[in-house]
Amino acid sequence: MKKAIGLLSFFQLFFICLLAQTTLPPVDKSPMDMCYYPANYPVQKINDKITEPLAARVIYSRPQKAGRPIFGGLVKYGEVWRMGANEATEIEFYKNVRLGGKKINKGRYTLYAIVNENTWTLIVNKETDTWGSFKYDAKKDVARQEVTVQKTNAPIESLAMAFEKSATGFNLIIAWDNIKASVPFTF
Amino acid sequence: MKIPALLLLGSLFFLSCNNKKESNSINVNKGTKGDSSATAKAKNSVNAYAPVDVSPMDISYFPADYPILKMSDSITTPPLARVVYSRPHLQGRNLFQDVLKYGEPWRLGANEATELDLYQDATIQGKKIKAGRYILYCVPQQDTWTIALNSNIDSWGLHPDVSKDIARFTIPVSQAGSSFEFFTMIFQQTKTGADLLMAWGDIETRLPLSF
Repeated sequence: MKKAIGLLSFFQLFFICLLAQTTLPPVDKSPMDMCYYPANYPVQKINDKITEPLAARVIYSRPQKAGRPIFGGLVKYGEVWRMGANEATEIEFYKNVRLGGKKINKGRYTLYAIVNENTWTLIVNKETDTWGSFKYDAKKDVARQEVTVQKTNAPIESLAMAFEKSATGFNLIIAWDNIKASVPFTF
Repeated sequence: MKIPALLLLGSLFFLSCNNKKESNSINVNKGTKGDSSATAKAKNSVNAYAPVDVSPMDISYFPADYPILKMSDSITTPPLARVVYSRPHLQGRNLFQDVLKYGEPWRLGANEATELDLYQDATIQGKKIKAGRYILYCVPQQDTWTIALNSNIDSWGLHPDVSKDIARFTIPVSQAGSSFEFFTMIFQQTKTGADLLMAWGDIETRLPLSF
């Protein structure tokens, strides 16, 4: 019992000790990342090896699985998920694209998803520079697209996004834990 | 029983406070154990789609925390500026012995070029800068840094193309009040706008923007 109390106060002190240091702006627990289409466009650009014109980029934060069941657990089925952490996930189109037959004008948008067991609905919304999905407003949706998800071969610790080329444009791949979704954008 | 427990407690407390750098990196680095590069490597090995960067990206808005203010309906006007940058960390290195060199351009970040988005026209050192997207890099000297605004956006931070510089500003460097393990950029409100504060190691410098 005494040991337990000792440990408890140790953790309290340790925590206070950590708190005392948090006057510096901390590094986010879910680090931010960025991906472009074409993939690695910034590197292509400085090497004068651009494969095709810049079309899109995503800025998102990368939460970790950290041992938790993600889909159907942390991310509830049927609810709007911010598909990231902290600042709302941003997608920018550098030219007009289409998603599910809907035209999306070039510009910055926020991405959300409604996750279900076998399908996800990706949402492109025009409310930018916001936080998470707490103020999600469906009236500001620009396009929605339902996709069937796949299982991944191995669990993915950090939420990951990447663009890949398709026959008619590009796909945005979103993968986390044991699920992978591929959202087709066309030119 | 009580005394050994207290002793243990005391020594652990001492360790935890003295090991500032380690506990900081545990604190900030995803709350996991081990040093940051090891965790980054471990995570890279399992992420087939996009490895997690050793230098995580971050974003700072002006007004500060704009997205949170917006979410909580505390602000209805558009933001004025933001920077999107990656945050290298010292990991025991000395900033000007091991990382940066005086007189050589530094990308003010890591990986993708550091981006400044101005949502409104701004004035820096008397020069009008139009609203839009720019990348930033600097040329550090001992007492001053030259900050370059450059139009080669959506590029990688290495080898900045000087021919695309829009403007250069020389600003003084000062000793920071505390030590910064991770490179840090934030906007701090001033009477006429905001300072873009850049801090790393034990130095900091401010680029004053007026709106």
